[in-house]
Amino acid sequence: MTSPRKRAAATVALFAAGALALSACASGGGGGGAAAPSGAAAPTPTQDTQAVSKITVGTAQDSTGPAAPEPGATKGGTVNMIDRDDFSHLDPARVYLNYNSSASKLFTRQLTEFKTAPDGSLKLVGDLATDPGSTDDNGKTWKFVLKDGIKWQDGSAITSADVKHSFERLFASFTPEGPPYAEQWLLPEGEKYTGPYEGKHLDTIEAVDDKTIVFHLNSAHTDFNFTVAMTGFGIVPEKHDTKEKYDKMPYSSGPYKIVSHVTDKSLDLERNEFWDPATDPIRNAYPDKWHMEFGVQSLQSTDRFIADNGTDKNTMTFHNPVAPERLQQVVNDPELMKRTVRGLTPFTTFFNINTSRIKDVKVRQAIIKAFPMQQERQLQGGEIGYGKYATTIMSPTVLGYEPFDLYGKLAKPQGDPEAAKQLLTEAGQPNPTIVYAYNQTPVQEKVAVAIKTGLEKAGFKVVTKPLNSTTYYDAIGHVDNPYDLYWGGWAADWPTGYTALAPTYDGRQIADQAPNYSHLNVPEINDAIDKAAAITDPVEAGKAWAAVDRQIMEQAPIVPEAYQTYFGLYGSGLGGVKFDIVTGEQSPTDVYVKQ
Amino acid sequence: MYRFLIRRILGAVVILLIISAVTFFLFFAIPRDPARLACGKLCTPESLEIVRHNMGIDEPVFLQYWHWLTAIFTGRDFTYGHCDAPCLGYSFVNQEPIFNAIVDRFPTTLSLTIGAAVVFLFFGVGAGMVAAARQGRALDKIASSASLLGASMQIYFVGVLATWILVDQTQILQRPTYHDFTANPVAWASGLLLPWLVLSIIFTANYTRMTRSSMVEQLSEDYVRTARAKGMSTRTVFLRFAWRGSMGPIVTIFGVDLGVLLGGAIITEQTFSLHGIGELSIKAVENQDLPMLLGVVLVSATAIVLFNIVVDAVYAFIDPRVRLN
Repeated sequence: MTSPRKRAAATVALFAAGALALSACASGGGGGGAAAPSGAAAPTPTQDTQAVSKITVGTAQDSTGPAAPEPGATKGGTVNMIDRDDFSHLDPARVYLNYNSSASKLFTRQLTEFKTAPDGSLKLVGDLATDPGSTDDNGKTWKFVLKDGIKWQDGSAITSADVKHSFERLFASFTPEGPPYAEQWLLPEGEKYTGPYEGKHLDTIEAVDDKTIVFHLNSAHTDFNFTVAMTGFGIVPEKHDTKEKYDKMPYSSGPYKIVSHVTDKSLDLERNEFWDPATDPIRNAYPDKWHMEFGVQSLQSTDRFIADNGTDKNTMTFHNPVAPERLQQVVNDPELMKRTVRGLTPFTTFFNINTSRIKDVKVRQAIIKAFPMQQERQLQGGEIGYGKYATTIMSPTVLGYEPFDLYGKLAKPQGDPEAAKQLLTEAGQPNPTIVYAYNQTPVQEKVAVAIKTGLEKAGFKVVTKPLNSTTYYDAIGHVDNPYDLYWGGWAADWPTGYTALAPTYDGRQIADQAPNYSHLNVPEINDAIDKAAAITDPVEAGKAWAAVDRQIMEQAPIVPEAYQTYFGLYGSGLGGVKFDIVTGEQSPTDVYVKQ
Repeated sequence: MYRFLIRRILGAVVILLIISAVTFFLFFAIPRDPARLACGKLCTPESLEIVRHNMGIDEPVFLQYWHWLTAIFTGRDFTYGHCDAPCLGYSFVNQEPIFNAIVDRFPTTLSLTIGAAVVFLFFGVGAGMVAAARQGRALDKIASSASLLGASMQIYFVGVLATWILVDQTQILQRPTYHDFTANPVAWASGLLLPWLVLSIIFTANYTRMTRSSMVEQLSEDYVRTARAKGMSTRTVFLRFAWRGSMGPIVTIFGVDLGVLLGGAIITEQTFSLHGIGELSIKAVENQDLPMLLGVVLVSATAIVLFNIVVDAVYAFIDPRVRLN
């Protein structure tokens, strides 16, 4: 693989397929991670990864700055950040990936944001807004009032007109990659809108005065204030909106501004002197500068953090996890463990059961019962390298999460073939044939063998069907696909049940390439989703979503696999490096250089 | 000579056209959609159409290829910006003209290639000559064994190990990084020293073995025996006759190696986090970035074709028996 480029086209095409497989792995697509270190038991965490189910909506008082100080933190210095990939987008309207959000926190602000308490619990607070927003009609109209003293990097005030412009430009043709909720919820039925650049504006976004912005949604969305906490709804100044070019050099509303950005190489930030910490309840912004470098693989960053030399002492990563090859070394070294960041990401992985092919719920339940969860997770990287056993659809990072284990998987993670046989007998299908489709990577080849072996112990006849990594999602995304079981994953866009469950299990949203990969369509569940979505009280809504979760799992449309974990290192010269529960990676907001 | 060069350059243009066309159509032969990769996770059919249009992949493939080809001479406007001639396309992932990206990355790859080539050519050919001169003796055995060991090494192994020992643990060398040669030649050399050495381990071994076998073969040729019979000194016979005669295959392989390295030493650049053409090609494949992929394939192919022409021309100077026409 050193230099295989000389034979041009054919080689490149073949190579493309291989490399794309790697990229799919890296993003978790089709079962991602590398296998756990061979010859060694999966490392055991020294403390259990924190489950977060306590998510509350804060008050106006909670929304005031400055952020809670880090004990012992001092201002100044430069923090380095190394990662494998550059940020694919910096224009907030085009940001959807968590990885991009981590950097954006430093120069982009939204109406609301999540504030993390020392115990790891989350609170939704106003970021630009004085509070997390209010609704008087059960979520159809939302009002936000902007804080005093919030400014752009040129010192001009951030106004509600900027917020209106930021939401209107989400409709422009050059911003299709971001979250689609504004386009879906803010457009009056039957109307078309292509952005504010030709002088047309949306009446559904009302800038009442310089400080007050009101959103008139086309249907009730009781957690809209959670929605607008996404980086995708960050603000962009009308005066400095360079449209397509904004992605290269966004204008700062946060504590830092971009000094230079060389694509795929580096990003340098320095202080935005007009950012007022008194307006910001989330960002401490201790370092004077940030220097970010890209193209550093996980193994390289892990080795650099372990060696901890020179400027690497003041270096962290947002995304690069500890490389599987070094997992055992890190876990066994108490000194290194002091410099680790761990936690549950919002990402839950599972195996979809195609309910339009396997219609008998007892057969689906038998698959779950027989499924060799333990064996296949070990192949994926174990608890630290991959994730904690999942038994629900909602992750512990979602508001209202309730732990339950309908199929006794935690007691028998290796599978319970006898119980599965019993279910198959009751279904009158003692030896059903199922087609397991998988992403053809080296790890997934092994996983396929483990799954086939596990399910066949219960009497299933398993046909394995390897799929090309580049076309995996296209293949399983067809409603009439010929497969019965296939891997998938989902992360809630914001930590409420709506975005964790509605897109993936609302039967009215089944379509080619839509995320309801199991094709579950149960009218009672669809109704329950509607009812839960209409509850305005977050705590009550959380309970309702947990009930929907249980209701869905009773129908066995998926085999839950893992609540994905993050495990990363950072340099010894830094303090305040924490895990961000919302993005599932290391947070930049409280980091400081030790003096 | 001129006729030779014109004929070869015209041939090279045809080869590059064929390579670009094959790459283009093979890319579209793989049943996947780069627009889906760029479109968000809740991508609606409408968004997907917009992304396809923005990327210019909503047109028939032949038309796309024609537009790509003509843009090299005329430049082109894209949704996200203008691309001046010579426009090799526009990367929707990096959001910049391909030509600019390649120009930005090429100095790193060029520096890596030149430095490594100097090292492996000097040590490889030198060791091979010593081994040939001391055929069957201890020096020959040492050089042959060392080259066998070097040839069996892999950069992703040696590179990681060398970094760990020389950078992470002992800090004898600085972490590999690219500095502009014109701004600071010392920093340029010290930043690339480790990649040069590691890359050289692999290549030196090949050159040692090739030089040795080629020299041994030449030393047994009739014209060498004749030179000896005429009373020429061993030094003259060795350097003026045998060495010159043995350089043909060395120059051939050197030309190909240079071309390949200039097309991007993928693993070396990945191992040392150097932002060269090789890294660019990996990213292009990962991101299904066809314009970038085409750009780096063309750079790689151009380098190989160009150095093959140079090698053919150099033959004539090394070996008088070779005539360019």
